[in-house]
Amino acid sequence: MWAYDFMRHALYAGLIIATVCGVVSVFVVLRRSAFAAHALGHVSLTGAAGAALVGISAITGQLLLNILCAIIMGLMGDKVKKNDLAVGVVLTFALGLGAYFLFLFQNNYAGSVMSILFGNILAVSSQQIYILLLLAVIILFTLVVFARPLIFASIDPVLAKSKNVAVKFLAVLFFVLVAITVSMACQIVGALLVFVMLIIPGAIGMQWGDSIYKIIFISVIVANLTIIIALYVAYYFNLPTSVCITMILSLIYFLGILRGYLRYS
Amino acid sequence: MIECKNLVLGYHESLVEPFNLKVADNKWMGIIGENGIGKSTFMKTILGVIKPISGSISIFGKNIGQINDIISYIPQEREINLSDLMSGLTLIKSSYHGASFGLPLLNRKLHNRALELLELVGATKYQHQPFNTLSGGQKKRIFLAQALINDPQLLLLDEPLADLDPSAKQHFIEALEEIHKHKSLGLLIISHDMHEIASHLDGFIHFKDKIVHSCVELPCAAKDTYVGI
Repeated sequence: MWAYDFMRHALYAGLIIATVCGVVSVFVVLRRSAFAAHALGHVSLTGAAGAALVGISAITGQLLLNILCAIIMGLMGDKVKKNDLAVGVVLTFALGLGAYFLFLFQNNYAGSVMSILFGNILAVSSQQIYILLLLAVIILFTLVVFARPLIFASIDPVLAKSKNVAVKFLAVLFFVLVAITVSMACQIVGALLVFVMLIIPGAIGMQWGDSIYKIIFISVIVANLTIIIALYVAYYFNLPTSVCITMILSLIYFLGILRGYLRYS
Repeated sequence: MIECKNLVLGYHESLVEPFNLKVADNKWMGIIGENGIGKSTFMKTILGVIKPISGSISIFGKNIGQINDIISYIPQEREINLSDLMSGLTLIKSSYHGASFGLPLLNRKLHNRALELLELVGATKYQHQPFNTLSGGQKKRIFLAQALINDPQLLLLDEPLADLDPSAKQHFIEALEEIHKHKSLGLLIISHDMHEIASHLDGFIHFKDKIVHSCVELPCAAKDTYVGI
């Protein structure tokens, strides 16, 4: 199956996104920002619909709108856990705008909306892979530079603030990184299922690892293996790849719950 | 040395009249007073989290905000976001050099130092146990070890004995005694259980009716000023 260009492109794109999501999802879970990740997935829908309307690429529209919304969310919310209201307000506004864009965009409605909502990893071009690689390098480099204060501010925000760590700046920066990651992952799993890649690998890492490095390592490995297995399953059983990704990650997560249950009982 | 000159504390409105205060290095001071009178605000002002309304405050001859590496703080309320398997040891290591940039590389020296501190505060037994499963008293001792990881010269504790049962309070005070024996560091402690630790202190700072009284060497001239001792 790797003889086909579209399958190789799908694999490269999938592995790049899995690696980034594997790292970012650990922080999403640790900072309890699942709702923000979910909201940014929906904002992507508006970004892609708006991009189609004005004639630019979907990822450009998603990046622009997601980053803007991420900055607003980060600035409006104070503490990570008390951010729900800020995220909810931005989400509502973006969804309303998205619905309007889709209303205007009725010529090619069904196919485009399906592609935005559920992604299409098999339609990734080699140019898109280079864009994904560039974005991945930006995200991972930023995370390496800010790793210490971000880990500290995520685990112990009150103490971090007392040490004059720029907690607010880190919140905005983190949301921007999530926004870029969401824009990338939407290409594969779509706006609705992007949540899966941004939550479950990190949650699985936390089921098995007891330190940040172990958790990130497990999360990245699980995300990458999931992409490879999902591509095989999708190819041989003729199933949508995003559905396979979702099912495999959910299954691994439930196995972790079962392990925890057996261990404590 | 903590030195306050005509200091006025508060967020928007002043909580106290201007006051002067000098506390020498390595002194252990209790801070007492009713709730909402400015004790925690005083600590946050020392940390540089809140700016004073007027006046100045210097720690070891430097302005506040410039010396965060040598001040440690144990807040009264905090939010700890650890996963179910992460231990107190992970918490301690995550805060080391948390204000600087780069990857927190695995460091044998740091690991051993964290283990030493856990032993000092009597938390060795549960250092690998998931943090979320520890009791309130055990968590407080982990916080104490965490506060010492950057080798501070001044430690601020805001109500460390609150919510602890008598036995846990006793264990925490014993951990403080151990630190007193082995480390040279100043300590400011806010507590409503001052009678339990008064014998370990060098003096008191008392917030009462918007006035800050201080007694930096025991016995204090007007002991009756200090309620609750």
